Amino acid sequence: MNLRATPLPPPTSGLLAAWRARVRRWFVARLRASDTVTLTQRTVYILPTRAGLMLGATLAVLLIASINYQLNLGYLLTFLLAGSALAAMHVGHANLRGLTLHLLPTAEAFALSPLPLEVQLSESQGRERPAIAVRVLDELPRAAADDPWVWTDVPARGSVRVHLAWRASHRGRVRPPALSAQTHYPLGIFRVWTVWQPAAPLLVYPAPEAHAPPLPAGQATDGVPLAGSQRGGAEFDGVRAWRRGDPLRNVVWKKWARSGELVSRDHASPQSFELWLEPALTGLSDREAMLSRLCAWVLAADRADLLYGLRLDAVDIAPGRGPVHRRACLEALATC
Amino acid sequence: MLSASSPASPASAGQPARSRLAALRQRFTRLPREARDTLFLLLVIAWIIAPHLGHLPTWCGALALATLLGRGALAVAGRPLPGALWRVGLLLIAVGATLATHRTLFGRDAGVTLIVVLLALKTLELRARRDAFVVFFLGFFTMLTNFFFSQSLTTAAAMLVALLGLLTALVNAHRPVGRPGLGTSAGVALRLALWGTPVMVALFLLFPRVAPLWSLPTDARSAKSGLSATMEVGNITQLALDDSIAMRVKFDGAVPPQPELYFRGPVLSEFDGRIWRPRVLRRSADPAPDLQALGAPVRYQVTLEPTQQPWLFALDAVTERPRIGGLPTRLTPDLQWLAERPVTELLRYTAQSHPQYRLGPLQAEGATRIALQDDVDLPPGFNPRTLQLAAELQRDPRLAGRGAGALVEAMLERLRTGGYRYTLEPAPAGVNTADAFWFDTKEGFCEHIASAFVVLMRALDVPARVVTGYQGGELNRLDGFLEVRQSDAHAWAEVWIAGQGWVRVDPTAAVAPGRTGTAQRLAPPQGAITQAIGTLSPDLLARLRQGWSALNNSWNQWVLNYTQNRQLDFLRNLGFEEPDWRDLARVLAALVGLAAAVSAVWALWQRAQHDPWLRLLERARARLRRAGLAVPEGATPRALVQLLQSNPLPRSSTNGSDSAPLVDWLLALERWRYARPTDGATTQAAHTTAASRRADLAALRRRFTQLPWHPRR
Repeated sequence: MNLRATPLPPPTSGLLAAWRARVRRWFVARLRASDTVTLTQRTVYILPTRAGLMLGATLAVLLIASINYQLNLGYLLTFLLAGSALAAMHVGHANLRGLTLHLLPTAEAFALSPLPLEVQLSESQGRERPAIAVRVLDELPRAAADDPWVWTDVPARGSVRVHLAWRASHRGRVRPPALSAQTHYPLGIFRVWTVWQPAAPLLVYPAPEAHAPPLPAGQATDGVPLAGSQRGGAEFDGVRAWRRGDPLRNVVWKKWARSGELVSRDHASPQSFELWLEPALTGLSDREAMLSRLCAWVLAADRADLLYGLRLDAVDIAPGRGPVHRRACLEALATC
Repeated sequence: MLSASSPASPASAGQPARSRLAALRQRFTRLPREARDTLFLLLVIAWIIAPHLGHLPTWCGALALATLLGRGALAVAGRPLPGALWRVGLLLIAVGATLATHRTLFGRDAGVTLIVVLLALKTLELRARRDAFVVFFLGFFTMLTNFFFSQSLTTAAAMLVALLGLLTALVNAHRPVGRPGLGTSAGVALRLALWGTPVMVALFLLFPRVAPLWSLPTDARSAKSGLSATMEVGNITQLALDDSIAMRVKFDGAVPPQPELYFRGPVLSEFDGRIWRPRVLRRSADPAPDLQALGAPVRYQVTLEPTQQPWLFALDAVTERPRIGGLPTRLTPDLQWLAERPVTELLRYTAQSHPQYRLGPLQAEGATRIALQDDVDLPPGFNPRTLQLAAELQRDPRLAGRGAGALVEAMLERLRTGGYRYTLEPAPAGVNTADAFWFDTKEGFCEHIASAFVVLMRALDVPARVVTGYQGGELNRLDGFLEVRQSDAHAWAEVWIAGQGWVRVDPTAAVAPGRTGTAQRLAPPQGAITQAIGTLSPDLLARLRQGWSALNNSWNQWVLNYTQNRQLDFLRNLGFEEPDWRDLARVLAALVGLAAAVSAVWALWQRAQHDPWLRLLERARARLRRAGLAVPEGATPRALVQLLQSNPLPRSSTNGSDSAPLVDWLLALERWRYARPTDGATTQAAHTTAASRRADLAALRRRFTQLPWHPRR
């Protein structure tokens, strides 16, 4: 039997849910944002759970039975249980107190698609902290069975990384969501939790358009248009010895199978073709839609290993290829 | 998942028990976590229910155990739990059977039956988190119900294990990640309980003991063995087999000799031919017993086990109304001491008795004569041969006119020499018990002898009555308490003799002098193990019994007998003049406040900087800040040096200081913390090195105070 904590009970009425959301927004807004937080008495909250209230009722019944039947041993049992519950309150609070939370930089994030957040929980006081759960405090509607909490044990003087899923609603420099950590350890009668607002904004790229039209036609350096996306390195002049960094699909596998020699196709001077991606080519007037399409195109051009540049209002990114170039383009799209 | 038909099981059948145990253990550790946790919880529940099996209806114990076993099998096999139809069906059967057994669903016994069944059945429904908690809380309650039946040390120890088991299961259930060892969880549970112990002790000592909040259902008072209110021949014989403690007596000073240890209980004056009963008391009219103390008193303290009866046993004869806090008492004219309500819990009282006394009127005149006449009444139509014997005796010239004392002496002589035998298993007596004893069987236990003796005395026109109680006891050398057991229950006679009043006569002593002289008793046959230990070392057995008894006694004295009086005594020792429950609350509140203050200080202490080096550095930063420098938080000594070099402290006109000594000091501070230890710092010298490092830091601290700081403006 696993007494994993269930999420907060589903709101009974829309009014209550709205009120809860309001309280949460107000609460999160008054938090001081920081990228790393070490939890102290000021930031760790504790309240009995429903099970804790049940235990309180049980204790009351035990006490009444002890009084009515004049059972001194019953008093002992009741008071030992109550003492253990108090100790559990302290242990639960200490389980979270002193823990350090740190939000790691995200790798790559597009608006509206799952955004992996990585939270590091570090322990420095030399005791294990079992059963700690972390979640994103957002207001996205979720299915009742979908438990947003991610559970982990933090070893003594060690750290653990927890992956959370989030979804940014728009591109740009986005304030990260508030995060919450909680524990029900050790007896499940107290919920100990904290709410934390990470500071460093996340750079969210525009959502790539789902079914974007094919890439616009590229141009030779002299201005002769080429047959668009068809030319993903189909022509080549010959082969040369494989060099580090050559894409795998350029390797002549047949040759390798025959002779064990690794050779690459040598492209017909790719420098002579370049693809400029610019807002005008999208044919869209809505700025966000346009950026979405440009984003899709950047990704497509990168996949096709084309030489491409990006021309926006404020920035011109000279044609290039590779991950650094791709990131430069995406960041320009995110922040323009 | 292991199935029952795994190839390992037939092979292990012939192996020695130890390896089979190891295989079982391995099998347990290899179970999936869910199954392992469930099995553990089931074990704990079985442990909690086990003490109940003795007094539960058979069907209830069988159903509970079968349910637990079935649930365990499902868990091991990984099969789904039975559907709602099963659960509801079983529940209905259980409720029906409870009704059939107890005729009610309320009251203690029916409640215990129901709660045990519910606890077992609830294990079939462990789906949601809430179900699991219900099992835990039902478990706690079932533990308490064990105390209805026994509050002994053994029960307490068993339930402590059960509590730790339940807490372990709870802790384990709240470690959802991976497969934590049960040992780890047990460690956490033990720690929780240890930390809870001071709370338990404080609350136990100080929580006000109040009277029951409402009256209890009648079956709350279980029929405990012990003396009964009436005496029918055969009653005390049963008690002779009962080795449990009836009371423990602590004497101030020496224990009186065995023949004086008559603890007086119910006095039986009415006889209907078969049953002896106490005289119905007309409370308002009860005169105080006419008692005259002779000789030195004996003071003692009695710890009485619950009897469910109002009798308070005391040595003959109680001269002073015994002290017993909070419970009104009264003395009957026949010197029996009664409490206002039945003794349902362990009760402690102090008393004072005079072994030498004179009871009752000395001469039978007027009203006294009429009152005494009640004590010669015999039911007509019983014991004709005894009456005839009495008539013959009255006609006997040797006895005629010599008074009751001579009659008593003659009868005791008859008992001594007439071939009468003291036995636990007398032949059946029929209707005329006195006739049977005097003439036919000539054997009996104390009640036969006392009853026959009193009948004969009354037939002789001598006022006489039966007194029941306890006689003797065994001194526990470990704690100095006299232990009086149920097997010490006794019946004797009291005879009124003109000029002497009521005189105790123990006819049993005449039949079997050993009964009252020494601790020798008729003992029931012993069990095989007891016999084995007894033959091995008779002394060991006695000492084991005494040790265990002493342990139980201190448990009784300190835990079970901690009543409101002891609570108030405790407060008096703390220095309260007239303690009442408000003082208890005050002490409790003070303790809570103290605990809160200590934890607040502890929190502050934890938050404060403990590292002396860091504290010194922080002092330096603060000084520089006051001197007007913009010192960032957490600046290192080196950063401070750089700060000082880029903008030196303003030179003071009065003392002309500059920042050079300060820079030196900061660098020394840095070296203390970060410099590579010198080559001499081997492990052997580590201790001295630590000491010298502490001395170095102290020197740095001194230098800090002597630094030429720029005086504050």
